[in-house]
Amino acid sequence: MKMTLYVAKNSIVHKSDPITKLTYCLVAAIVPYIIPNHLFAFVIMLLSISLLLLGKVFRKMIPIYILSLFLLITIVIIQGIFHPDNVTPLFMLGPITFYQEGLLIASLLIIRIINMLSAFGVVILTTQPDDLIEALVKKGMSPRIGYVIGSVLQIIPQMSSMVGTIMDAQRSRGLETEGKLSTRIKAFIPLIGPVIMNSLIATRERSIALEIRGFNSKRKKTFLRDEKEFLFGKPYQLLLILCFIGAIIWRIFQ
Amino acid sequence: MKKIIVDSLKYKYPGTDNLALNDISFEVEEGEIIGIVGKNGSGKTSLSLSLTGLIPHFFGGGYGGKVLVDGLEVRNSTVTEISERVGYVFDNPFSQMTAAKYTVYEEVAFGLENMGLPREEIKKRVDWSLQLLDLESIKEKYPFDLSGGQMQRVAIAGVIAMKPQILVLDEPTSQLDPEGSEEVFQVIQSLAQEGITILIVEHKLEKIAKFCDKILLLHEGQLIDFNHPQEVFSRDDLKDYGIMPPVFTRVCRALDIKNPLTGHYPVTLEEVTQLVKNHE
Amino acid sequence: MNKQKSMWSLRLSTAALVLIPVAIGINYIGKTIASALKLPLWIDSLGTILASMLAGPIVGGLAGIINNIIYGFTQDPISTVYAITSLFIGIVVGALSYTGWLKSFGKACILGLIVGLVAAIVSTPLNIIFWGGQTGNVWGDALLAVMLKEGYPVWLASFFDSVVVDIPDKFVSVLICYFIFKGLPNNVKNLYRGGQKIEEL
Repeated sequence: MKMTLYVAKNSIVHKSDPITKLTYCLVAAIVPYIIPNHLFAFVIMLLSISLLLLGKVFRKMIPIYILSLFLLITIVIIQGIFHPDNVTPLFMLGPITFYQEGLLIASLLIIRIINMLSAFGVVILTTQPDDLIEALVKKGMSPRIGYVIGSVLQIIPQMSSMVGTIMDAQRSRGLETEGKLSTRIKAFIPLIGPVIMNSLIATRERSIALEIRGFNSKRKKTFLRDEKEFLFGKPYQLLLILCFIGAIIWRIFQ
Repeated sequence: MKKIIVDSLKYKYPGTDNLALNDISFEVEEGEIIGIVGKNGSGKTSLSLSLTGLIPHFFGGGYGGKVLVDGLEVRNSTVTEISERVGYVFDNPFSQMTAAKYTVYEEVAFGLENMGLPREEIKKRVDWSLQLLDLESIKEKYPFDLSGGQMQRVAIAGVIAMKPQILVLDEPTSQLDPEGSEEVFQVIQSLAQEGITILIVEHKLEKIAKFCDKILLLHEGQLIDFNHPQEVFSRDDLKDYGIMPPVFTRVCRALDIKNPLTGHYPVTLEEVTQLVKNHE
Repeated sequence: MNKQKSMWSLRLSTAALVLIPVAIGINYIGKTIASALKLPLWIDSLGTILASMLAGPIVGGLAGIINNIIYGFTQDPISTVYAITSLFIGIVVGALSYTGWLKSFGKACILGLIVGLVAAIVSTPLNIIFWGGQTGNVWGDALLAVMLKEGYPVWLASFFDSVVVDIPDKFVSVLICYFIFKGLPNNVKNLYRGGQKIEEL
């Protein structure tokens, strides 16, 4: 019903301002790319992981890491074996030589990726999507864009259950969905066509429903939900932005 | 007081040649309930949309004449301005949900947030409309988990919370099962008691014959008749407009039983019962 | 007959905005069905492409960007990186569709190739910065490995890695969308363009 990985827990990270977490996520994910240093990236990665631990959600992070496992392995293979700068063999695995230069590059990339995943995890796992959207709208994001984001989270589960229904229906009518590639390609349109048509036609009705409920109102939108009090507000956001600017300055004068 | 004034309204959809509405004029008094009837393509939906401003502002197309709702001229107002005076509900309950809210309570508050009302006022109005539509017991539910009838009532609640003085319902029960339809009809009657002026497009003539003050008969974009249900449903030429009168009217016509007070065939069960009692 | 708004106008109609979540949903189900049928392509941008054809470059670009950000924040953070690629796909398809590139099947084919090329060009620097050149597609990455071994520079090898993945994928996606677009009724096609003109009768 709801597309989110949010885990309800009682923690200081959960109680922190969604905008601060979002700012942290972006700054922490990007800064290790600005400052190309193993130790620095590693420290930021540890920081992101400790925030996950502090939020009591580290275990929920593991499936997200696993999703990227293939990417991480190919990085080791491509860089470790094939990188153009490779000259110093480090070890052999059967007939294959892994080189020091490539593996060093690979390790920096991997630390950065794990850090990026973890920094995103801090937002994803400890923030309710509605809180984040509402906070962004209050910060000045258009409420219309806020609506769009909010409704994606509902429409995707709806449309995927529609696909399930249509897949069953088409199969029971004898549509072949297995076998040769050409058979499977031919099955694609009858499966996706009806869902696309129906959902496009429904946009007209939904637009009408929104318009008659003041969707285009020029007045400043108000919020039903009570103002939530969050920890670590604006000063922390400013601090994070300063860190980001600092990293850029360091890079320029380096 | 005149709540709605429609004066020589003409409309055609973009890219079409035929007039969907051809020189329509009528007036509605405050608190009246009007049933709009006619076969498919007669202009019922177009007429509903032109009371909400979606015609011409959302659809575009050719437009002539004048529509005044609660004193506001539709042609020169925005859909948002009109939406605070005229509520609109249509057939598909599913697509009337905003798809951005997680409880019935929040769903009903959507329009009020857009109107920029203070939080306390929003809560007051949501509570009021949930009560009016008998939705209090399900206010924490996810809108898409509801039955069709419940969802349609949520749609009505979301519109009613904006406190429009006019409510236009375009076939609000056509996608509902009998139970769901009954829920919606009951709600419409309680809204009428609140003094809201109601226009309803409906195929279930037995129903609207019972509670409508007047029937507006459309055919090919033209207004054929605008009169009391007994008069409209007693017309000899009703078949030409693709309308089957309520079953009681048909039975009485076959038996040639007229209401001596009005001189027309009766239209509701109550009226027939009364006649039979008097007869005895 | 309708006076068209400029395709770059930022004032989006309600219908155009409502199209964005649907487009993102279509991206998702396209990807789901393609993987259920074990097709060798991603087919994960049908919605973005369709929205761009229907509502122009701004809506298409927004659909693309929001698509990847939402996936990034609900399923897989990696996909956020490609928000920029999706943005460009939306802009290119939208701008070209509005200037006559959907008039014939032949033109649509060329549009498909252009979109694939643009996707590859935009993705290559992202792939190099973030993962040292891979795309995550086995065949593409195998080509990358071979080219690196043969001594080609990383940017060129990575670009070819993207090309072999993106061009077939976007070419097929654009053609699927072209046929769906052609099959849509006119009132749906005109719904999102905005600037509904009212003429006096």
